[in-house]
Amino acid sequence: MSDVLLQAENVGIRFGGLQALEGLNLMVRDKELCCIIGPNGAGKSTFLNVLTGTLRPTSGSVRFLGHDIAGLPLHRIARLGIARKFQIPSVFPSLSVEDNLKVARWGAPSPARPISELMELIALTNRAATLAGELAHGQKQWLEIGMALAIEPRLLLLDEPTAGMTPQETLATAEMLLRLKGEFSIVAVEHDIRFVRALNCETLVLHQGRRLRSGPFHDIEADEMVRDVYLGRR
Amino acid sequence: MIARDRNWLLVFAVCAALAVIYPFFADGYQLTVIRDALIFGLFAASLDFFWGRTGILCFGHAAFFGIGGYIMALVTLNDAIPVGSVLGIIGAVTGAAFVAAIIGYFLFFGGIRGSYFTIVTLAMGVICQQAAISWSSVTGGDSGLIGIPPIAFDLGGMHVDLSQDLPSYIFVAAIAAVAVLVLWSISRGRWGTVLTAIQDNEVRAAALGHNAPLRLLVTFVLSAAIAGLAGALYVCMAGLVAPDLSGLLLSTEVIVWVAVGGRGTLLGPVLGAIAIQRAQQTISSFNPSLWPLLLGCVFVIIVFVLPDGILSIYARLKSLFKGRRHAR
Repeated sequence: MSDVLLQAENVGIRFGGLQALEGLNLMVRDKELCCIIGPNGAGKSTFLNVLTGTLRPTSGSVRFLGHDIAGLPLHRIARLGIARKFQIPSVFPSLSVEDNLKVARWGAPSPARPISELMELIALTNRAATLAGELAHGQKQWLEIGMALAIEPRLLLLDEPTAGMTPQETLATAEMLLRLKGEFSIVAVEHDIRFVRALNCETLVLHQGRRLRSGPFHDIEADEMVRDVYLGRR
Repeated sequence: MIARDRNWLLVFAVCAALAVIYPFFADGYQLTVIRDALIFGLFAASLDFFWGRTGILCFGHAAFFGIGGYIMALVTLNDAIPVGSVLGIIGAVTGAAFVAAIIGYFLFFGGIRGSYFTIVTLAMGVICQQAAISWSSVTGGDSGLIGIPPIAFDLGGMHVDLSQDLPSYIFVAAIAAVAVLVLWSISRGRWGTVLTAIQDNEVRAAALGHNAPLRLLVTFVLSAAIAGLAGALYVCMAGLVAPDLSGLLLSTEVIVWVAVGGRGTLLGPVLGAIAIQRAQQTISSFNPSLWPLLLGCVFVIIVFVLPDGILSIYARLKSLFKGRRHAR
């Protein structure tokens, strides 16, 4: 069991009268890729916020390498080796692409990957001096993934990495992640089924804050119940 | 990036050269006028170091100037303290930094930013001024303290005495030049880049492993320390300290100097301080009540028309012509 990186046990969270999450479990092993899917309002982002320690669960616990991370300051969590890509692309608009990556690297306890390699990986080498605020939407998303990689994470959490991307960009992003698989663990929260299909990994389906199904994606895709939820029949 | 650094150094070199040749053309009175303006220029640069890089406006920066001034006055007026000038300056710098550290700790780690920070620091300035007025047994109350001796110390067997106009001008100009150069080199490198990132998106910077509140706090403390240094220099040159030095008017004026000179350029605020004080003297000689009115108008115009300060006129013209050429 020593290769368990992140373990969420019986996580529940309540906002006032609303039980946003209830009884969720998730175990991420080292270098494993997994997806969390669900219809809008299923609690995907909330769950991710709990996993990154930004939100403190009202019940249950989240442990990263055995440390309870709930309520730690953001920069401490980052220094433990958890990188996060936000849903809305949040790059630093008044800095160049290169400076964005530098800022990310400086925050890391032991950065290894050189800036040039990062820029190649996210296909932005020829935009190094461009201000991040002037990039196209998809490029901002990639830059943000590049910044998350720069801190040499043990675990990368992606919140809707393909939101607003074209179908080609979505597939290119999936390819990028598959290439990175094996270097560290990745948890992606996604809405876009094509993307999850391209990743074809362990998948957790949320519905109304609870676990609906979990297992390999091809089993999930075949599941009648999941189809009903996605098509809005239930 | 590189070209911008080169331009900055060029402007700095020109200013430094002007400062060096100025004494050959100026009489004693003019020297002291520029000397005092330079002290306020240093003060403006200290505010710009914080405001320009973090985007957070401190509306009570005169508090640190005043704290530095009062500490310097109290130390040098106390005959029991040896080498008063040196200890006074050290005390002024650390005193201002200490107050900034305490106030800044609660504000930054409490998540106070933006307008709320501005309002709290505004109150801080008013409190400092009131304390200077009310605590009259120490501060001399409304009339302040007078008879502060000029800076004098021994440096490697050489006795430095700044009671004359020329030595005091050289001393102040040298300190201002070194301080601006140091602040600039801090703010253009890694420290400044991360501050810009924090200004853009603090949560993101934190999620990348940067301790944003600590970085803001250290920047604020450094800024306050330089303001304290400027305050200490000023009271020795003027020979007196009064509650006005930590007051709301000076806090407002320093913001105008920075806004006029160009926020984030460090050198612009120094020039802004000199130019505006020069204008103030000229205009006040016609009619003293005209000045506050003009100052307010200039501030409003700058904020609306030239938000990056007077130094940006050149860059704006350049981009205007570039745009024309492209349009053709």
